[in-house]
Amino acid sequence: MASADKILKALSDSLGKRIIQTRTLQPGKSYIQVQTGAHKDAVRIVLQEDNEAGVSAITGVDLGETIELMYHIRTCDTIITIGAEVPKKDAKIESITDIFPGANFHEREVSDLFGVTFEGHPNPKRLILPEDWPENVFPLRKEVSVANIPSKIGNFGVSKDEKHVSSEERLVNIVLGPQHPALIEPEKFSLRVDGEIVRGVEPRIGYVHRGIEKAAESRTYLQDIYLVERICGICNACHAACFCQTVEAIMGVSVPPRARYLRTIILELNRIHSHMLLLGHAGLEIGYETLFHYMWRDRELIMDIMEALTGNRVIASFITIGGVRRDLKEEDVPKIKAELTKLKERLSFYKNLFESDSTLKMRTRNVGVLSKQDALKLGVVGPVARGSGVNMDVRRDEPYAAYNEIPFNVITYDEGDSWARLMVRLDEVGESVNIIQYALDHLPTGPYRVRVPRTVPTGEAIGRVEAPRGELFYYVKSNGTAYPERVKVRTPTFANILSFVHIAEGGNVADVPASFVSLDPCFSCTDR
Amino acid sequence: MKWARLKSPWVLHFNSGACNACDIEVVALLTPRYDVERFGILLEPSPRHADILLTTGVVTRQCADRLKRIYEQMPEPKFVIAIGACACSGGVFEGNYNVIGGVDKVIPVDVYIPGCPPKPEAIIDGVVKLLKSIEGGEQSGKR
Repeated sequence: MASADKILKALSDSLGKRIIQTRTLQPGKSYIQVQTGAHKDAVRIVLQEDNEAGVSAITGVDLGETIELMYHIRTCDTIITIGAEVPKKDAKIESITDIFPGANFHEREVSDLFGVTFEGHPNPKRLILPEDWPENVFPLRKEVSVANIPSKIGNFGVSKDEKHVSSEERLVNIVLGPQHPALIEPEKFSLRVDGEIVRGVEPRIGYVHRGIEKAAESRTYLQDIYLVERICGICNACHAACFCQTVEAIMGVSVPPRARYLRTIILELNRIHSHMLLLGHAGLEIGYETLFHYMWRDRELIMDIMEALTGNRVIASFITIGGVRRDLKEEDVPKIKAELTKLKERLSFYKNLFESDSTLKMRTRNVGVLSKQDALKLGVVGPVARGSGVNMDVRRDEPYAAYNEIPFNVITYDEGDSWARLMVRLDEVGESVNIIQYALDHLPTGPYRVRVPRTVPTGEAIGRVEAPRGELFYYVKSNGTAYPERVKVRTPTFANILSFVHIAEGGNVADVPASFVSLDPCFSCTDR
Repeated sequence: MKWARLKSPWVLHFNSGACNACDIEVVALLTPRYDVERFGILLEPSPRHADILLTTGVVTRQCADRLKRIYEQMPEPKFVIAIGACACSGGVFEGNYNVIGGVDKVIPVDVYIPGCPPKPEAIIDGVVKLLKSIEGGEQSGKR
C-alpha cells in the first residue's frame, strides 16, 4: 500500500533538479512545483506508485505573465498537487491524456477558459464556451473584463450549432438534445448509430455555462456562498459546505461542534433528496412511471424536513463561513425522527422492488457496464465509481463536518452495470437516514456559528466534499482582500461524463436513456 | 377552442441555463403531492404540441438561439411563463460573461413567477393567473 510520503519521496528521487519548489498548501496537502515539461513525468510517477490514483482536477491560475497549471491528483486519501507554469504569450503544454484518459475534459476546459494549448490532445475542440464565442478571448484571464466582451443582444434566431453530417457510410447521426424529452437540462449528444447499435458519442456541453468562476472573483466571500449554492440547485448544500470549508482552511477557523453536526444533517438530507430524485427519474426513463411517482411522493417527506430546518424547500442557504445560519428547533426533532422512520419503512419496500422486479432487471442488468479498470482510468467518482467496485468516499477518506464521529458504511457493488449504480444510491439513502438519526441523538449543545472577519488572509486551500454525485472539489486562492483571487470548482458530473461515451458505445440505442440516467448527470454542475 | 385551452393547457418545459432548483420544482408539480394533471395540465415533450412554455433559468449565449427556435416552433396562440428569479431578471448571474439575462431579453413573457426557487404552489398560482387572464380576454396569445 502506497502512502503519500512514499509518493513524495519517489517524486523527489526521480525528478531531482526538475522540482522547483515543494510546499504545503494546508496540513496534509503538498504542492510540488516542477519545470514545464516535467509535469507529465510527475503525474506518471504518482499513477505508478498508487494504481488507484487519478487526476481529480486541473486548475489554471492567471499569475500575470504566466499561467499556472495545477494537476490535483487524488491519492492515498489526500490530494497531491503538481504545478507547472506556462508563459501567457505562448501557452503550450504537453497533454497527459495518453497516460490518464480521464484528463480529457479537464484539459479541454482549461484550454477554453485560459487559452492553453495541450499538445497531443486527441480531440481539442471547444467544450464549454458557445460556438459563436469570439476567438482569442479567454474569459478567466485577468485582463479580460466582462464589460469588453461583445454582447449578443438582438442577434438571435440564427442557430450556429455545429453541423452533424456523417461522412461515413451506413452510420446515421442521431442528435439528442439540447431540448429533448429524456433530458431535463439542455445538452447535446450526437450519437452515431449503425442500425440499433451506438458506434460513437460526441458530447457537447456548455449550454448551461454561466461563468460562475469568473463571477466569484468579483463578489465578496460572503456573496460567493450564495453564488456557489446556485451552481446546482440539487446539491446546493454540498457546494456551500465545500466552499466554506475551503475558506475556513485558509482563515484557520474551526467550526463549533454543533455546527458540524448540523452541517452533516443538511448534507445528508441533500443526499437523500438527490438520490430519490434520481431513482424516480430512472424509473421514468425505463418506462416505469409508477416508480417515479412513488419515489417522488416519498421524497416530499425530506423536502418537509428541509423546510423545517432551513426555511426553504430546495436552496438551503444554511451553511455559512464559521458555522450555520440557523439553529435546529428542539420541537422539530421528534417530527423529523417520525418522518425518517416512515421513510425507512418505504426503503425496505424499494429494496425488495429493485432486487426482484423483472422490468427493472431487464432494463438495467448488464446494461452500460463499466469495469473497475475503466472506472479508474476515466477517473469517475461517487456512486458511479462505487457501482464498479472502486471503494472511495470522501466522507471516510478525508472526514469533514462530523463524519469522523458518526459510524456509517461505504456501499460498493462489483457489477458495474446500471443496476449496481442505482442500488448503490438506494442503499446510501438508508445509510444517510442512519447518519441523520445518529446526529440528532448525539447533537452537541453550544453555539452554532462563530463570527469571522470579512477579509481573508493571503493563502490557498483545497476542499473536498462527497456530494450525492461524488467527490466535489474546490480550490480557492485568496489575495488578502474581501474578494477571492481564484475559485475553481470541479463538480462530480464533470468527472463522470466521459464515462458515458464509454458505456454507450457498443450498446443499444434504446438503452441510452437508461444507462445515461444511471450516471445521475447534472449539467448545471458540469457547466457552471 | 378557448374552452379547451383553459381546461387542458399543455405545457413545455425548457431550461435555458438554470441551476436545476426550479426544474425539480416543476417536476415536483407532476408528482402525487401537487399533481397538476388533475387540472388537465400536461407536460408535453414537443414544442409543436404545447400551449404554454415554462422557462427556467437565465438565458446563456449558447442556449439563446435554441430558446428562440423552440418558441418559434410553438403554434399560436402561445404563452410564456418565466419561473424563478433568473428567468425573470437574471438573478445572481446577471452580468456574467456568458449570460444574456432574463428570458424577456429573447422572447416575450406573459407571467413572471419570482422566487429562488418558487414553491410549487407559487408556480400553480402563476399558471392559474395566466389562465384567468386568457379567460378574461386580456391575453390573446397572438404574436
